[in-house]
Amino acid sequence: MRIVACVKQVPATTEVKIDPETGRLVREGVRSVMNPFDLYAVEQAVLLCERLGGETIALSMGPPQARASLQESLYLGADRAILLSDRAFAGSDTWATSYALARAIETLGGVDLVICGKQAIDGDTAQVGPGIAAHLDWPQVTYAAAMTDCTSRRMRLKRMNEDGYDLVEVDLPAVVTVVKDINQPRVPTLKRVLAARKMDIDVWTAETIGADTSCLGLDGSPTRVVRTAPPPPRAAETRVIQGDPEHCARAMVHELRARSIA
Amino acid sequence: MTANRGRTIEIELLSPKQSDEKLEESLEKFAVKWRRAIDAGYMVCVPDNPMGNLAFQCTELIEELALPCPPGRVSVHLNTFHTKEDLDGILETMIRLGIRHLLIISGDGAVRLPKLRGEDIGQDVESVTSVELIRHVRREYAGCFDVGAAYNPYEPVEHEREKMRRKIDAGAEFIITQPIIADHPEMDTILGFGLPVTVECWMSRKLHLLSDCVGYEIPEDTPYDPLENLRALMLRYPRCGVYLAICGFKTQFHLLGELFDDVERRIASGETGKVNQ
Repeated sequence: MRIVACVKQVPATTEVKIDPETGRLVREGVRSVMNPFDLYAVEQAVLLCERLGGETIALSMGPPQARASLQESLYLGADRAILLSDRAFAGSDTWATSYALARAIETLGGVDLVICGKQAIDGDTAQVGPGIAAHLDWPQVTYAAAMTDCTSRRMRLKRMNEDGYDLVEVDLPAVVTVVKDINQPRVPTLKRVLAARKMDIDVWTAETIGADTSCLGLDGSPTRVVRTAPPPPRAAETRVIQGDPEHCARAMVHELRARSIA
Repeated sequence: MTANRGRTIEIELLSPKQSDEKLEESLEKFAVKWRRAIDAGYMVCVPDNPMGNLAFQCTELIEELALPCPPGRVSVHLNTFHTKEDLDGILETMIRLGIRHLLIISGDGAVRLPKLRGEDIGQDVESVTSVELIRHVRREYAGCFDVGAAYNPYEPVEHEREKMRRKIDAGAEFIITQPIIADHPEMDTILGFGLPVTVECWMSRKLHLLSDCVGYEIPEDTPYDPLENLRALMLRYPRCGVYLAICGFKTQFHLLGELFDDVERRIASGETGKVNQ
Protein backbone atom coordinates (compact mmCIF):
# COMPACT_ATOMS: atom_id res chain seq x y z
CA MET A 1 0.00 0.00 0.00
CA ARG A 2 1.05 3.56 -0.54
CA ILE A 3 -0.19 5.62 2.38
CA VAL A 4 0.13 9.35 2.88
CA ALA A 5 0.00 10.64 6.45
CA CYS A 6 -0.65 14.37 6.63
CA VAL A 7 1.02 16.21 9.49
CA LYS A 8 1.02 19.80 10.66
CA GLN A 9 3.37 21.83 12.79
CA VAL A 10 1.31 23.71 15.39
CA PRO A 11 2.03 25.99 18.34
CA ALA A 12 2.35 24.09 21.61
CA THR A 13 -1.08 23.99 23.23
CA THR A 14 -0.28 26.26 26.10
CA GLU A 15 1.17 28.96 23.91
CA VAL A 16 -1.61 29.70 21.43
CA LYS A 17 -2.18 33.42 20.97
CA ILE A 18 -4.37 35.30 18.52
CA ASP A 19 -3.38 38.62 16.97
CA PRO A 20 -6.26 40.93 17.92
CA GLU A 21 -5.70 43.03 14.78
CA THR A 22 -5.75 40.27 12.17
CA GLY A 23 -7.62 37.58 14.06
CA ARG A 24 -4.93 35.10 12.99
CA LEU A 25 -2.81 32.80 15.12
CA VAL A 26 0.51 34.27 16.19
CA ARG A 27 3.13 31.72 15.19
CA GLU A 28 6.31 33.78 15.45
CA GLY A 29 8.44 33.08 18.49
CA VAL A 30 6.14 30.35 19.72
CA ARG A 31 7.41 26.84 20.38
CA SER A 32 6.03 24.41 17.85
CA VAL A 33 5.18 20.74 18.00
CA MET A 34 3.63 18.18 15.71
CA ASN A 35 -0.14 18.36 15.94
CA PRO A 36 -0.84 15.66 18.57
CA PHE A 37 -3.61 14.02 16.53
CA ASP A 38 -1.24 13.61 13.60
CA LEU A 39 0.95 11.29 15.67
CA TYR A 40 -1.90 8.81 15.54
CA ALA A 41 -2.24 9.27 11.77
CA VAL A 42 1.43 8.52 11.22
CA GLU A 43 1.36 5.57 13.61
CA GLN A 44 -1.67 4.10 11.85
CA ALA A 45 -0.05 4.48 8.44
CA VAL A 46 3.14 2.82 9.68
CA LEU A 47 1.17 0.01 11.36
CA LEU A 48 -0.75 -0.69 8.15
CA CYS A 49 2.43 -0.74 6.08
CA GLU A 50 4.05 -3.09 8.60
CA ARG A 51 1.09 -5.45 8.27
CA LEU A 52 0.34 -5.17 4.57
CA GLY A 53 3.61 -3.96 3.09
CA GLY A 54 4.12 -0.69 1.27
CA GLU A 55 5.35 2.73 2.17
CA THR A 56 4.29 5.58 4.40
CA ILE A 57 4.84 9.07 3.11
CA ALA A 58 4.55 11.94 5.58
CA LEU A 59 3.27 15.11 3.95
CA SER A 60 3.12 18.60 5.37
CA MET A 61 2.65 22.13 4.16
CA GLY A 62 4.29 25.03 5.90
CA PRO A 63 7.42 27.12 6.34
CA PRO A 64 10.86 25.46 6.59
CA GLN A 65 10.37 25.02 10.36
CA ALA A 66 7.65 22.47 9.58
CA ARG A 67 10.46 20.05 8.74
CA ALA A 68 10.57 19.22 12.45
CA SER A 69 7.20 17.47 12.29
CA LEU A 70 8.23 15.58 9.20
CA GLN A 71 11.42 14.51 10.88
CA GLU A 72 9.39 13.26 13.83
CA SER A 73 7.25 11.31 11.35
CA LEU A 74 10.40 9.67 10.04
CA TYR A 75 11.35 8.82 13.64
CA LEU A 76 7.99 7.11 13.99
CA GLY A 77 8.62 4.96 10.96
CA ALA A 78 7.55 6.91 7.86
CA ASP A 79 9.61 5.90 4.82
CA ARG A 80 9.67 9.28 3.17
CA ALA A 81 8.76 12.88 3.95
CA ILE A 82 7.67 15.74 1.73
CA LEU A 83 7.30 19.39 2.72
CA LEU A 84 5.23 21.72 0.57
CA SER A 85 6.93 25.04 1.09
CA ASP A 86 6.57 28.04 -1.14
CA ARG A 87 5.62 31.69 -0.72
CA ALA A 88 2.63 30.93 -2.93
CA PHE A 89 1.17 28.80 -0.09
CA ALA A 90 1.36 31.58 2.51
CA GLY A 91 -1.99 32.63 3.95
CA SER A 92 -3.84 29.56 2.67
CA ASP A 93 -7.00 28.66 4.55
CA THR A 94 -8.19 25.07 4.95
CA TRP A 95 -9.65 24.96 1.42
CA ALA A 96 -6.46 26.19 -0.26
CA THR A 97 -4.33 24.01 2.00
CA SER A 98 -6.34 20.90 1.19
CA TYR A 99 -6.10 21.80 -2.51
CA ALA A 100 -2.30 21.93 -2.29
CA LEU A 101 -2.11 18.68 -0.33
CA ALA A 102 -4.44 16.99 -2.82
CA ARG A 103 -2.28 18.18 -5.71
CA ALA A 104 0.78 16.75 -3.97
CA ILE A 105 -1.01 13.41 -3.49
CA GLU A 106 -1.91 13.37 -7.17
CA THR A 107 1.68 14.21 -8.05
CA LEU A 108 2.89 11.29 -5.97
CA GLY A 109 0.52 8.96 -7.78
CA GLY A 110 -0.58 5.48 -6.77
CA VAL A 111 -1.71 6.53 -3.30
CA ASP A 112 -4.18 4.08 -1.75
CA LEU A 113 -4.96 5.85 1.47
CA VAL A 114 -4.58 9.29 3.06
CA ILE A 115 -4.67 9.46 6.85
CA CYS A 116 -5.00 12.71 8.79
CA GLY A 117 -5.45 13.49 12.46
CA LYS A 118 -9.06 14.40 13.21
CA GLN A 119 -8.14 18.08 13.48
CA ALA A 120 -5.25 20.39 14.28
CA ILE A 121 -5.17 21.84 17.75
CA ASP A 122 -4.45 25.38 16.54
CA GLY A 123 -7.37 26.02 14.19
CA ASP A 124 -9.57 23.14 15.42
CA THR A 125 -11.46 23.18 12.12
CA ALA A 126 -11.27 19.46 11.20
CA GLN A 127 -11.67 20.61 7.61
CA VAL A 128 -8.40 19.71 5.88
CA GLY A 129 -8.95 15.94 5.76
CA PRO A 130 -12.46 16.28 4.26
CA GLY A 131 -11.10 19.04 2.01
CA ILE A 132 -8.45 16.70 0.58
CA ALA A 133 -11.17 14.10 -0.09
CA ALA A 134 -13.29 16.72 -1.84
CA HIS A 135 -10.43 17.90 -4.04
CA LEU A 136 -9.47 14.31 -4.93
CA ASP A 137 -13.11 13.25 -5.25
CA TRP A 138 -12.36 10.26 -2.97
CA PRO A 139 -14.60 8.81 -0.25
CA GLN A 140 -13.83 9.91 3.28
CA VAL A 141 -14.32 8.51 6.76
CA THR A 142 -13.85 10.94 9.61
CA TYR A 143 -13.20 10.29 13.34
CA ALA A 144 -12.04 6.71 12.78
CA ALA A 145 -11.39 4.93 16.07
CA ALA A 146 -10.46 1.52 14.65
CA MET A 147 -9.55 -0.08 11.34
CA THR A 148 -10.26 -3.75 10.67
CA ASP A 149 -10.19 -6.10 7.72
CA CYS A 150 -7.85 -3.84 5.82
CA THR A 151 -6.77 -4.82 2.34
CA SER A 152 -5.27 -2.73 -0.39
CA ARG A 153 -8.78 -2.33 -1.88
CA ARG A 154 -11.16 -1.93 1.01
CA MET A 155 -11.31 -1.50 4.76
CA ARG A 156 -13.76 -1.53 7.63
CA LEU A 157 -13.72 1.24 10.18
CA LYS A 158 -15.27 2.01 13.50
CA ARG A 159 -16.24 5.66 13.26
CA MET A 160 -16.83 7.70 16.39
CA ASN A 161 -19.99 9.77 16.59
CA GLU A 162 -21.64 11.69 19.41
CA ASP A 163 -23.70 8.72 20.55
CA GLY A 164 -21.30 5.86 19.96
CA TYR A 165 -19.84 4.30 16.83
CA ASP A 166 -20.75 3.66 13.21
CA LEU A 167 -19.30 0.59 11.53
CA VAL A 168 -18.53 1.52 7.95
CA GLU A 169 -16.76 0.08 4.96
CA VAL A 170 -14.91 2.14 2.42
CA ASP A 171 -13.35 1.38 -0.93
CA LEU A 172 -9.84 2.63 -1.48
CA PRO A 173 -8.46 5.05 -2.35
CA ALA A 174 -9.96 7.04 0.46
CA VAL A 175 -9.22 9.70 3.05
CA VAL A 176 -9.53 8.78 6.72
CA THR A 177 -9.22 11.08 9.73
CA VAL A 178 -8.40 9.38 13.02
CA VAL A 179 -9.03 9.93 16.72
CA LYS A 180 -6.75 8.98 19.59
CA ASP A 181 -8.46 5.68 20.30
CA ILE A 182 -7.11 4.17 17.11
CA ASN A 183 -3.65 3.29 18.41
CA GLN A 184 -0.87 4.11 20.83
CA PRO A 185 1.89 5.96 18.97
CA ARG A 186 5.19 4.22 19.50
CA VAL A 187 8.12 5.76 21.30
CA PRO A 188 10.86 5.81 18.66
CA THR A 189 13.99 3.80 19.34
CA LEU A 190 17.41 5.41 19.26
CA LYS A 191 18.40 3.22 16.34
CA ARG A 192 15.41 4.39 14.31
CA VAL A 193 15.95 8.05 15.25
CA LEU A 194 19.59 7.96 14.23
CA ALA A 195 18.69 6.34 10.91
CA ALA A 196 15.85 8.81 10.30
CA ARG A 197 18.11 11.80 10.94
CA LYS A 198 20.11 10.77 7.88
CA MET A 199 17.03 10.70 5.63
CA ASP A 200 16.27 13.59 3.31
CA ILE A 201 13.07 15.59 3.44
CA ASP A 202 11.92 16.54 -0.06
CA VAL A 203 10.77 20.12 -0.50
CA TRP A 204 8.13 20.66 -3.15
CA THR A 205 6.90 24.01 -4.45
CA ALA A 206 3.67 25.06 -6.11
CA GLU A 207 5.38 24.38 -9.40
CA THR A 208 6.40 20.84 -8.38
CA ILE A 209 2.78 19.91 -7.76
CA GLY A 210 1.49 21.79 -10.80
CA ALA A 211 -0.82 23.89 -8.67
CA ASP A 212 -2.98 26.69 -10.03
CA THR A 213 -1.59 29.57 -7.98
CA SER A 214 -4.95 31.35 -8.03
CA CYS A 215 -6.19 28.50 -5.81
CA LEU A 216 -3.44 29.04 -3.24
CA GLY A 217 -2.62 31.60 -0.57
CA LEU A 218 -4.96 34.42 0.31
CA ASP A 219 -6.35 34.63 -3.24
CA GLY A 220 -7.38 30.99 -3.16
CA SER A 221 -8.85 31.15 0.33
CA PRO A 222 -12.56 31.85 0.64
CA THR A 223 -12.38 31.98 4.46
CA ARG A 224 -12.48 35.43 6.07
CA VAL A 225 -11.98 35.80 9.80
CA VAL A 226 -14.74 38.19 10.83
CA ARG A 227 -14.35 38.02 14.59
CA THR A 228 -12.56 35.90 17.16
CA ALA A 229 -13.49 35.43 20.78
CA PRO A 230 -12.21 33.21 23.55
CA PRO A 231 -14.41 30.21 24.31
CA PRO A 232 -16.64 30.45 27.37
CA PRO A 233 -14.94 29.20 30.52
CA ARG A 234 -15.30 25.49 30.95
CA ALA A 235 -17.70 24.49 33.68
CA ALA A 236 -16.07 22.78 36.62
CA GLU A 237 -16.69 19.08 36.71
CA THR A 238 -17.67 17.40 39.94
CA ARG A 239 -17.67 13.66 40.22
CA VAL A 240 -18.82 11.85 43.29
CA ILE A 241 -17.25 8.46 43.82
CA GLN A 242 -19.27 6.35 46.16
CA GLY A 243 -18.28 3.32 48.18
CA ASP A 244 -15.90 2.45 50.96
CA PRO A 245 -12.82 4.65 51.43
CA GLU A 246 -10.42 2.16 49.87
CA HIS A 247 -12.57 1.78 46.78
CA CYS A 248 -13.01 5.56 46.48
CA ALA A 249 -9.31 6.22 46.83
CA ARG A 250 -8.45 3.57 44.25
CA ALA A 251 -11.06 4.83 41.81
CA MET A 252 -9.86 8.41 42.21
CA VAL A 253 -6.21 7.51 41.71
CA HIS A 254 -7.14 5.40 38.71
CA GLU A 255 -9.05 8.29 37.16
CA LEU A 256 -6.25 10.77 37.82
CA ARG A 257 -3.70 8.44 36.31
CA ALA A 258 -5.90 7.73 33.31
CA ARG A 259 -5.95 11.48 32.69
CA SER A 260 -2.20 11.70 33.29
CA ILE A 261 -2.79 14.09 36.18
CA ALA A 262 -1.13 11.91 38.79
CA MET B 1 29.06 -2.70 44.89
CA THR B 2 31.65 -0.47 43.29
CA ALA B 3 35.36 -0.31 43.89
CA ASN B 4 34.71 2.53 46.33
CA ARG B 5 35.51 1.06 49.69
CA GLY B 6 32.48 -1.17 49.81
CA ARG B 7 30.11 1.76 49.55
CA THR B 8 27.98 2.12 46.43
CA ILE B 9 28.59 5.44 44.70
CA GLU B 10 25.93 6.00 42.08
CA ILE B 11 26.31 8.72 39.48
CA GLU B 12 23.10 9.75 37.76
CA LEU B 13 23.33 10.38 34.04
CA LEU B 14 20.35 11.88 32.24
CA SER B 15 19.96 10.37 28.81
CA PRO B 16 19.38 12.65 25.80
CA LYS B 17 15.76 13.56 25.15
CA GLN B 18 13.95 12.38 22.06
CA SER B 19 13.36 16.01 21.10
CA ASP B 20 17.05 16.90 21.28
CA GLU B 21 17.92 18.83 18.13
CA LYS B 22 21.64 18.28 18.66
CA LEU B 23 21.23 14.60 19.35
CA GLU B 24 24.56 13.36 17.97
CA GLU B 25 26.42 15.93 20.09
CA SER B 26 24.42 15.02 23.19
CA LEU B 27 25.06 11.32 22.65
CA GLU B 28 28.77 11.97 22.43
CA LYS B 29 28.72 13.97 25.69
CA PHE B 30 26.67 11.24 27.35
CA ALA B 31 29.18 8.59 26.27
CA VAL B 32 32.11 10.65 27.60
CA LYS B 33 30.43 11.08 30.99
CA TRP B 34 29.54 7.40 31.10
CA ARG B 35 33.11 6.30 30.46
CA ARG B 36 34.50 8.75 33.02
CA ALA B 37 32.13 7.48 35.69
CA ILE B 38 32.83 3.83 34.89
CA ASP B 39 36.60 4.41 34.70
CA ALA B 40 36.48 6.08 38.11
CA GLY B 41 34.89 2.97 39.60
CA TYR B 42 31.39 4.34 40.18
CA MET B 43 28.00 2.93 39.32
CA VAL B 44 26.18 4.71 36.49
CA CYS B 45 22.41 5.21 36.89
CA VAL B 46 20.05 6.28 34.14
CA PRO B 47 16.54 7.48 35.03
CA ASP B 48 13.55 6.44 32.96
CA ASN B 49 11.86 9.37 31.18
CA PRO B 50 12.14 11.70 34.20
CA MET B 51 9.35 14.29 34.52
CA GLY B 52 7.53 12.48 31.70
CA ASN B 53 9.95 13.81 29.10
CA LEU B 54 10.65 11.28 26.37
CA ALA B 55 14.28 10.27 26.56
CA PHE B 56 16.27 7.34 25.27
CA GLN B 57 16.46 4.18 27.32
CA CYS B 58 19.66 3.21 29.09
CA THR B 59 19.76 -0.18 27.40
CA GLU B 60 19.53 1.17 23.86
CA LEU B 61 22.19 3.77 24.64
CA ILE B 62 24.58 1.09 25.87
CA GLU B 63 24.05 -0.98 22.75
CA GLU B 64 24.09 1.86 20.24
CA LEU B 65 27.08 3.65 21.74
CA ALA B 66 28.93 0.45 22.68
CA LEU B 67 29.28 1.67 26.26
CA PRO B 68 31.22 -0.40 28.79
CA CYS B 69 28.97 -2.25 31.15
CA PRO B 70 31.04 -3.97 33.86
CA PRO B 71 29.11 -6.26 36.21
CA GLY B 72 27.52 -4.37 39.09
CA ARG B 73 28.34 -0.94 37.72
CA VAL B 74 25.18 0.01 35.86
CA SER B 75 21.78 0.71 37.35
CA VAL B 76 18.66 1.00 35.25
CA HIS B 77 15.58 2.83 36.48
CA LEU B 78 12.28 1.50 35.24
CA ASN B 79 8.85 3.05 35.63
CA THR B 80 5.31 1.96 34.87
CA PHE B 81 4.91 3.99 31.68
CA HIS B 82 5.75 1.39 29.07
CA THR B 83 3.91 -1.08 26.90
CA LYS B 84 4.38 -4.66 28.01
CA GLU B 85 6.35 -5.32 24.85
CA ASP B 86 8.74 -2.43 25.53
CA LEU B 87 9.03 -3.43 29.18
CA ASP B 88 10.03 -6.97 28.25
CA GLY B 89 12.44 -5.60 25.67
CA ILE B 90 14.20 -3.47 28.27
CA LEU B 91 14.39 -6.29 30.83
CA GLU B 92 15.63 -8.83 28.31
CA THR B 93 18.28 -6.44 27.05
CA MET B 94 19.39 -5.87 30.64
CA ILE B 95 19.81 -9.61 31.08
CA ARG B 96 21.77 -9.85 27.85
CA LEU B 97 24.03 -7.00 28.99
CA GLY B 98 24.49 -8.52 32.43
CA ILE B 99 22.83 -5.62 34.28
CA ARG B 100 21.25 -6.72 37.55
CA HIS B 101 20.69 -3.44 39.41
CA LEU B 102 17.13 -2.29 38.77
CA LEU B 103 15.32 0.55 40.53
CA ILE B 104 11.57 0.35 40.03
CA ILE B 105 9.44 3.43 40.47
CA SER B 106 5.90 4.43 39.53
CA GLY B 107 7.27 7.27 37.41
CA ASP B 108 5.97 10.39 35.74
CA GLY B 109 3.35 10.04 33.05
CA ALA B 110 2.86 12.00 29.86
CA VAL B 111 0.51 11.83 26.93
CA ARG B 112 3.14 10.13 24.78
CA LEU B 113 3.93 7.51 27.38
CA PRO B 114 1.71 4.43 27.51
CA LYS B 115 0.67 3.30 30.98
CA LEU B 116 1.26 -0.32 31.85
CA ARG B 117 -2.08 -1.97 32.57
CA GLY B 118 -2.86 -4.51 35.25
CA GLU B 119 -3.94 -7.09 32.69
CA ASP B 120 -0.60 -6.69 30.89
CA ILE B 121 1.18 -8.17 33.87
CA GLY B 122 -1.55 -10.51 35.05
CA GLN B 123 -2.56 -8.47 38.09
CA ASP B 124 -6.08 -7.43 38.95
CA VAL B 125 -5.44 -3.77 39.75
CA GLU B 126 -6.92 -0.59 38.40
CA SER B 127 -3.58 1.16 38.23
CA VAL B 128 -0.12 -0.34 38.10
CA THR B 129 2.29 1.23 40.58
CA SER B 130 5.84 0.37 41.51
CA VAL B 131 4.46 -2.28 43.89
CA GLU B 132 2.84 -4.27 41.10
CA LEU B 133 5.80 -3.80 38.80
CA ILE B 134 8.24 -5.01 41.46
CA ARG B 135 6.04 -8.05 42.03
CA HIS B 136 5.87 -8.74 38.31
CA VAL B 137 9.63 -8.50 37.78
CA ARG B 138 10.39 -10.65 40.80
CA ARG B 139 7.91 -13.28 39.62
CA GLU B 140 8.56 -13.31 35.88
CA TYR B 141 12.29 -12.64 36.00
CA ALA B 142 13.11 -14.49 39.20
CA GLY B 143 16.79 -14.28 40.06
CA CYS B 144 17.65 -12.01 37.15
CA PHE B 145 17.73 -8.66 38.95
CA ASP B 146 18.50 -6.95 42.23
CA VAL B 147 15.31 -4.94 42.56
CA GLY B 148 15.14 -1.69 44.47
CA ALA B 149 12.45 0.78 45.41
CA ALA B 150 12.33 4.48 46.15
CA TYR B 151 11.35 6.08 49.44
CA ASN B 152 10.14 9.65 49.56
CA PRO B 153 10.46 11.06 53.08
CA TYR B 154 8.65 14.22 51.99
CA GLU B 155 5.38 12.35 51.45
CA PRO B 156 3.00 11.88 54.42
CA VAL B 157 5.02 9.43 56.47
CA GLU B 158 2.32 6.90 57.35
CA HIS B 159 1.37 6.51 53.72
CA GLU B 160 4.97 6.25 52.57
CA ARG B 161 5.91 3.74 55.26
CA GLU B 162 2.92 1.57 54.41
CA LYS B 163 3.77 1.75 50.73
CA MET B 164 7.38 0.84 51.43
CA ARG B 165 6.22 -2.20 53.35
CA ARG B 166 4.15 -3.24 50.33
CA LYS B 167 7.16 -2.72 48.06
CA ILE B 168 9.26 -4.90 50.34
CA ASP B 169 6.53 -7.55 50.45
CA ALA B 170 6.50 -7.45 46.65
CA GLY B 171 10.22 -8.13 46.60
CA ALA B 172 12.19 -4.88 46.89
CA GLU B 173 15.73 -5.61 48.04
CA PHE B 174 17.20 -2.15 48.47
CA ILE B 175 16.00 1.41 49.00
CA ILE B 176 16.97 4.71 47.42
CA THR B 177 15.77 7.91 49.08
CA GLN B 178 14.75 11.21 47.58
CA PRO B 179 17.41 13.93 48.06
CA ILE B 180 18.37 14.41 51.69
CA ILE B 181 19.69 17.77 52.78
CA ALA B 182 21.99 17.31 55.80
CA ASP B 183 19.60 14.91 57.50
CA HIS B 184 15.96 13.94 57.70
CA PRO B 185 14.05 12.57 60.68
CA GLU B 186 12.60 9.82 58.49
CA MET B 187 16.07 8.37 57.83
CA ASP B 188 15.86 6.24 61.00
CA THR B 189 12.66 4.67 59.69
CA ILE B 190 14.22 4.04 56.31
CA LEU B 191 17.23 2.35 57.88
CA GLY B 192 14.87 0.41 60.11
CA PHE B 193 13.46 -1.52 57.15
CA GLY B 194 16.64 -3.56 57.28
CA LEU B 195 17.51 -3.28 53.59
CA PRO B 196 20.59 -1.68 52.03
CA VAL B 197 19.93 2.05 51.71
CA THR B 198 21.31 4.53 49.21
CA VAL B 199 20.91 8.19 50.12
CA GLU B 200 20.31 10.60 47.29
CA CYS B 201 22.40 13.76 47.32
CA TRP B 202 21.28 16.74 45.27
CA MET B 203 24.41 17.95 43.48
CA SER B 204 23.06 21.16 41.97
CA ARG B 205 23.64 24.42 43.81
CA LYS B 206 20.12 25.39 42.84
CA LEU B 207 18.42 23.95 45.88
CA HIS B 208 15.13 25.68 45.05
CA LEU B 209 14.67 23.23 42.17
CA LEU B 210 13.79 20.71 44.85
CA SER B 211 10.73 22.72 45.92
CA ASP B 212 8.29 20.43 44.12
CA CYS B 213 10.00 17.37 45.53
CA VAL B 214 9.97 18.46 49.16
CA GLY B 215 6.50 19.97 49.00
CA TYR B 216 7.36 23.49 50.15
CA GLU B 217 8.92 26.50 48.51
CA ILE B 218 12.69 26.74 48.88
CA PRO B 219 13.78 30.35 48.26
CA GLU B 220 15.89 30.78 45.13
CA ASP B 221 18.78 32.38 47.01
CA THR B 222 19.11 29.59 49.58
CA PRO B 223 22.83 28.92 50.05
CA TYR B 224 23.73 25.30 49.44
CA ASP B 225 27.03 23.55 48.98
CA PRO B 226 26.32 20.17 47.38
CA LEU B 227 29.80 18.76 47.96
CA GLU B 228 29.63 19.60 51.66
CA ASN B 229 26.20 18.04 51.85
CA LEU B 230 27.57 14.91 50.20
CA ARG B 231 30.44 14.81 52.69
CA ALA B 232 28.04 15.26 55.61
CA LEU B 233 25.70 12.53 54.37
CA MET B 234 28.55 10.08 53.87
CA LEU B 235 29.86 10.77 57.37
CA ARG B 236 26.41 10.61 58.88
CA TYR B 237 25.47 7.38 57.12
CA PRO B 238 28.72 5.48 56.63
CA ARG B 239 27.01 2.23 55.70
CA CYS B 240 24.73 3.77 53.09
CA GLY B 241 25.45 4.18 49.44
CA VAL B 242 25.12 7.59 47.89
CA TYR B 243 23.30 8.58 44.72
CA LEU B 244 24.59 11.76 43.11
CA ALA B 245 21.75 13.47 41.25
CA ILE B 246 22.75 15.95 38.54
CA CYS B 247 26.42 15.73 39.31
CA GLY B 248 28.39 18.41 37.45
CA PHE B 249 31.07 16.79 35.36
CA LYS B 250 32.90 20.06 34.71
CA THR B 251 32.92 21.45 38.23
CA GLN B 252 32.38 18.57 40.66
CA PHE B 253 33.31 15.20 39.26
CA HIS B 254 37.08 15.68 39.54
CA LEU B 255 36.68 16.63 43.21
CA LEU B 256 34.84 13.48 44.20
CA GLY B 257 37.85 11.18 44.64
CA GLU B 258 39.49 13.54 47.12
CA LEU B 259 36.20 14.01 48.97
CA PHE B 260 35.70 10.24 49.27
CA ASP B 261 39.27 9.81 50.54
CA ASP B 262 38.65 12.50 53.15
CA VAL B 263 35.42 10.82 54.24
CA GLU B 264 37.25 7.51 54.46
CA ARG B 265 39.95 8.99 56.67
CA ARG B 266 37.46 10.66 58.96
CA ILE B 267 35.37 7.53 59.33
CA ALA B 268 38.52 5.53 60.08
CA SER B 269 39.32 8.03 62.82
CA GLY B 270 35.86 7.53 64.30
CA GLU B 271 34.22 10.69 63.06
CA THR B 272 30.68 9.92 61.99
CA GLY B 273 27.43 11.77 62.35
CA LYS B 274 25.56 8.76 63.66
CA VAL B 275 26.59 5.45 65.16
CA ASN B 276 23.30 3.57 65.26
CA GLN B 277 23.47 2.00 61.79
